[in-house]
Amino acid sequence: MLGIRSVKFIQSVLSQHRLKYSVTEHGLRSLSSASPEMKSSDDLPIKMDNPYKEPPKGCILCNITVDHKNVQLLSQFVSPHTGRIYGRHITGLCGRKQREVSKAIKKAIHMGFMSVTLKDPSFMKDPNICTVKHLE
Amino acid sequence: MDAAQFVMPRYELTLILKAMQRPETVATLKRTVETLMERGAVVRALESLGERALPYKISKHNVRHTRGGYFLIDFYSSAKILPTLLDHLKRDVDVVRPTLLRTDKEMGSAPYCFPEPPKNKDTLPRRR
Repeated sequence: MLGIRSVKFIQSVLSQHRLKYSVTEHGLRSLSSASPEMKSSDDLPIKMDNPYKEPPKGCILCNITVDHKNVQLLSQFVSPHTGRIYGRHITGLCGRKQREVSKAIKKAIHMGFMSVTLKDPSFMKDPNICTVKHLE
Repeated sequence: MDAAQFVMPRYELTLILKAMQRPETVATLKRTVETLMERGAVVRALESLGERALPYKISKHNVRHTRGGYFLIDFYSSAKILPTLLDHLKRDVDVVRPTLLRTDKEMGSAPYCFPEPPKNKDTLPRRR
């Protein structure tokens, strides 16, 4: 048998925390939160986008405009030994950018900006973008 | 897109001039721009890309050129004058290589490109 004071104390504490309670002569019987509409499906996982999703990757020239006057950029996709344009499996560019680069290189060669059979010596030290291993 | 854009498209003339002293280069450029303006072109800008060694030796007008001055001329004009203009430039002794390009139409560019899906690795590698 609980004393009246202790019951009153329990009631005040529980009402502070907005919890539903049922107190009988045997003591605190049940405790539940105040919302009456508790469905069994409320603890299923919430549908949301994959939070660990990686941002979509593009090729290296994604947001860069390819210009035929930009000989340094174009020379990075050209062989230093023969001056030939590297293929898509070497440069790693997407279809559209590979075509733009190829057309720009041919345009630059025809207009007299870029050499045909060699890569400009001043651009030899540029960082290597293409996955080619040259014999040293 | 108004009609004027089609009547006077925008062109870029890349001029490679013989390596000359400054007053002669000035005279050549003045001559070229005046020719353009005579034929009703509106010259927008004239940029110099400096004098540098040509990527390959160019033979023009019985002279083998190794160095040249690069100049860009932006202009608006009708398309009818272009064949005569190019003919005129080819006959000019001081001009090594004139190239005309149209700069109106921008290629549509998406924010980024989608990389191609990875190929099926079950297939045998290509025999070369």
